[in-house]
Amino acid sequence: MTPELTPFDHRPDAALGAALRRALAPGDDAAFVARVLARFEQARGPTWHGVLARWARAGVAAAALIALVAGYLVGRAPRASAPTVADALIAPPAQAPVVEVVLASVIGNER
Amino acid sequence: MTTMASEPQPPGGAPRIEHGDEAALVARALAGDRAAFGVLAERYAAPARRVARAVLDDPDDADDAAQDALLAALVKLQQYDPRRPFGPWLMRIVANAATDRRRRRTVRRAEPLDPNATAGGPRPDVRTEQRALAQRLREALAELPERRRVAVVLFDVEGYSHAEIAEILGVAEGTVRSEVFHARRRLRVLLADWKEEDA
Repeated sequence: MTPELTPFDHRPDAALGAALRRALAPGDDAAFVARVLARFEQARGPTWHGVLARWARAGVAAAALIALVAGYLVGRAPRASAPTVADALIAPPAQAPVVEVVLASVIGNER
Repeated sequence: MTTMASEPQPPGGAPRIEHGDEAALVARALAGDRAAFGVLAERYAAPARRVARAVLDDPDDADDAAQDALLAALVKLQQYDPRRPFGPWLMRIVANAATDRRRRRTVRRAEPLDPNATAGGPRPDVRTEQRALAQRLREALAELPERRRVAVVLFDVEGYSHAEIAEILGVAEGTVRSEVFHARRRLRVLLADWKEEDA
């Protein structure tokens, strides 16, 4: 400790300084800095690329959802398939094949 | 401007930060570089917290004040003159933030007293002794006028010169000398008493 004590003493008192430093030791500086930086991020608000990234994420999610729903609906829908040749031959005609009969008879007559 | 050898250094602490380095960090932080602000926050976290605690006896209040000050400094960074050292500029904001918080605070929360801090209590080991001394120093600091305790912490703990402290506190250099002198006189008596008790 500095022996003399005058208002003109321009040197820090090492002993007193060390004791005060211990007395005022704040503790975990890393946690404090992390807290300050977190507040800094909050205060700064969203950046343009942050907003775009959030939009992009939402867009991708929406597109994936729409694709899933569309796929599900398409998969569930009854298939209106075209009749096969066998179906056409087996199934009774809905109406009289007037034109076909006429054509067949004409062709048969020519033979 | 760089730190001169004749300038007071904080006892037992890290050497004062090079000014040129700080100016570059401030410029980067101003440009939106989060990492640069992070470095500044890391460097000044401990001094800012100590100075805030010199004003506010409650450590949580002091941390809140130091945090507010660091964030306010970031907002005001454009007002900082890069030709001058960054530390005193920041410490002025810290001291003001702590003072504002103390004024706003209506209920003063008292830190529970360490039973070993009272004279005559058993002191089984050095660590307990140091804790008790720290407690007594904090109590002694709390008895001092606010400007006096900030002045002595800035001078003897943080290593700022009288002129820098005058700038931080917005008072004349002679006033700072007087404040440091009176604070030391009180605290040295306490330290001496403690050593006598300990002997």
